[in-house]
Amino acid sequence: MISNPKDRISTSETVVFITSYNIAIGILTLPRVTVEEIDSPDVWITVILGALIALTSSIIIVKLSQHFLEKTFYQYCEEIVGKLIGRALSILIIIYFLTLSALEIRVLAEVTGFYLLENTPQWAMIMPMMWIGIYLLSGGVNSLARLCEIIFPITVIIFLLVLFMSFELFEINNLRPVLGLGVIPPLKGLKTTALSYTGFEALLFLIAFMKHPGKSVKVAVMATIIPLVFYLLTVIMVIGVFSIDGVVTRTWPTIDLITSYELRGLVFERFDSLLLAVWVMQIFATFIITYFGAALGFAQLVKKNIQPFIYVLLPIVYIVAMIPKDLNDVFTLGDWIGDTAIFLFGIAPLLLLIITKLKGIKYDAKT
Amino acid sequence: MMQKHKNMGGFIVFLSLLFVSGCWSSIEIDERGFGVGVAFDIGEESQFKNSERAGFPKQDLVSVTYQFINPRPASQDNSAVREQKPYMNMTQTGDSIHQIVRQFAIENEHPVFMPHLKVVVISEELLSMLSLDQILDFHFRDNEVRLSSLVFVSSGKAYETMETKQNEEIPAFRLVEMTENRYRTTKLLSPVPLAKLLGKMHSGSSFLLQNVDSANGEAKLSGAAVINGKTNKCQGFFNEEELEGYTWLTGDIEGGVVKTFDEETDQIVIFEVDSVGNTITSTVDGNKISFDVNIESEGRLSESWINSEEPIDNESIKRIQKEIEEKVAQLITGVLEKMQKEYEVDVAGFGEHLRINHPRVWEKIKDDWDQTFRDVPITLNVTITIAEYGSMIID
Repeated sequence: MISNPKDRISTSETVVFITSYNIAIGILTLPRVTVEEIDSPDVWITVILGALIALTSSIIIVKLSQHFLEKTFYQYCEEIVGKLIGRALSILIIIYFLTLSALEIRVLAEVTGFYLLENTPQWAMIMPMMWIGIYLLSGGVNSLARLCEIIFPITVIIFLLVLFMSFELFEINNLRPVLGLGVIPPLKGLKTTALSYTGFEALLFLIAFMKHPGKSVKVAVMATIIPLVFYLLTVIMVIGVFSIDGVVTRTWPTIDLITSYELRGLVFERFDSLLLAVWVMQIFATFIITYFGAALGFAQLVKKNIQPFIYVLLPIVYIVAMIPKDLNDVFTLGDWIGDTAIFLFGIAPLLLLIITKLKGIKYDAKT
Repeated sequence: MMQKHKNMGGFIVFLSLLFVSGCWSSIEIDERGFGVGVAFDIGEESQFKNSERAGFPKQDLVSVTYQFINPRPASQDNSAVREQKPYMNMTQTGDSIHQIVRQFAIENEHPVFMPHLKVVVISEELLSMLSLDQILDFHFRDNEVRLSSLVFVSSGKAYETMETKQNEEIPAFRLVEMTENRYRTTKLLSPVPLAKLLGKMHSGSSFLLQNVDSANGEAKLSGAAVINGKTNKCQGFFNEEELEGYTWLTGDIEGGVVKTFDEETDQIVIFEVDSVGNTITSTVDGNKISFDVNIESEGRLSESWINSEEPIDNESIKRIQKEIEEKVAQLITGVLEKMQKEYEVDVAGFGEHLRINHPRVWEKIKDDWDQTFRDVPITLNVTITIAEYGSMIID
């Protein structure tokens, strides 16, 4: 599959690919979870610092991948640390992708079930989504990238539009004082905001598909800056409207922001369904990308074609998605996934890069 | 493999036909009871209470009145139809808001549908008994309620604000539209939607909510209710004049007029506000906190009953400016007095000012700020500039 010349994606496609992966659950909950950690209006500073951490990690992944041209992590990992540890790491990453994929689809069901389709059973929302997803996946990484390319501009336009329309309720005092209690509070939320940028880990397998893998650093930078702008605007608007005392009481503060205003005299008075529509698209993208990551991992571990694995994973992901009993369990699962991500994509790649350097594995001539 | 793949596709299409049926949770629009306003009162026995069968385990704690849109038949010529009001009010009593809301489903053909809720009115009586958290908890949790609904407090019965004698009007919409008149009067607060209320309720600071009065079947926005930040209950009222002082103190003015009497001639003069600038500076010296409030306003002399034989010259303009300044200062002092001495709460955002400008001091004193605020000295400086005199010229 990888030798197929059709499976090559351009640099800009890679950027929107990772951006779409990036923007998911976090955009709805980030203002609350960060304020819970730092209890001061300096959330926006934390969001910027988190981006720097995420960028560092993604550049480490890029540097690591560039040593092994046209190989995904699942393939080159063994070359660095040997078969046993390499396989174990790969399996961990597969489990990570699989669980994240399930979590995305579960949150999708929770949010649409609460705001849009109250009496629709969860399976009836999840299953069509998953079927459409595996249909898309049968087209390979190219169709994935194409999908992200289509939904990205729609997301940008609608998201910014509905966000800026809440400006009437915005109060700058809710964001003041800046660093009123010193630099310690903003640092407390770093883990949370850095984790909201997870998405760069797709580079572990994506660089192998790139037309110009030499440009991956540029990809990493762009794919951090775009979500940074999204997150920054979101936390500024949400906290500017709700204040830090109000935001901690809301489960999905970003949706609540859009339900806080009505614009009379326009064709639409209310815009929450528009926001939810683009959000569903973004969740779908994240779901399908992580699903792809897991399926690809399995396929490459046993060196077989990816197609059967796409189908095999379907019931597994569904069952995992259904394991959390309630919304609190869902959020707890999300926290676990986050903690795993710190190890898998923050610490492990750095160690692997050091070992690679020590072993003296050379950059591939073609990069 | 290819053949198998095709079959899979067909199977998926078949399953989709079975399970993906367009609108699973759909309810036709004419079967919805569109609630546009809700009023909370102290519980009164509902009309069905007397019959044995109607009783369900509850206390008569809260009465909830919902205002529904009454969809009128298309033919407007029929006089009987024209006399019908465009709204219906229905009241239920109980001790849980959600239970009450669901009670409508067994007494009305259309259960309440709340995404179009515009107004929440809570009676003062109820709000001095229950806290905002208790009364509004359901509204903050429910998925149908939007956070854009505006919140009011009523000095009389809240359900009376949901009435009007006009046959063409919907009282809930009327209340919303009245809040948009802030560019014409200084006696209105900025509207508080549920979204804004959340932060106020949980910050621990006291605040104001717009008050509604009803008389002879008409509602009027009049004064403000003082909500204690600790208890989230209604502590008292500001009348219209005190509210005027409050809007001047906070500088939260879009437009309006100030009336005073010219000392020399004892005639009415009216100043119309064009712009208001408000700066608060605070001084923290050890444990001593003090504030300086500086208010600068520019506007026009829009009405003067001073006898025309005594022409208005620059001298008298200066005098009138001074008189307006005194009037504004008097309004503000009046409301400050009430805040510091009578209610002992800070609703004007002095605490907010400390939080922003002296965050570390604020951390120490925020827990009993209202007690501290009682004795904080506040100096006032009002500057009024009459920039023009309308279409009448002065000498």
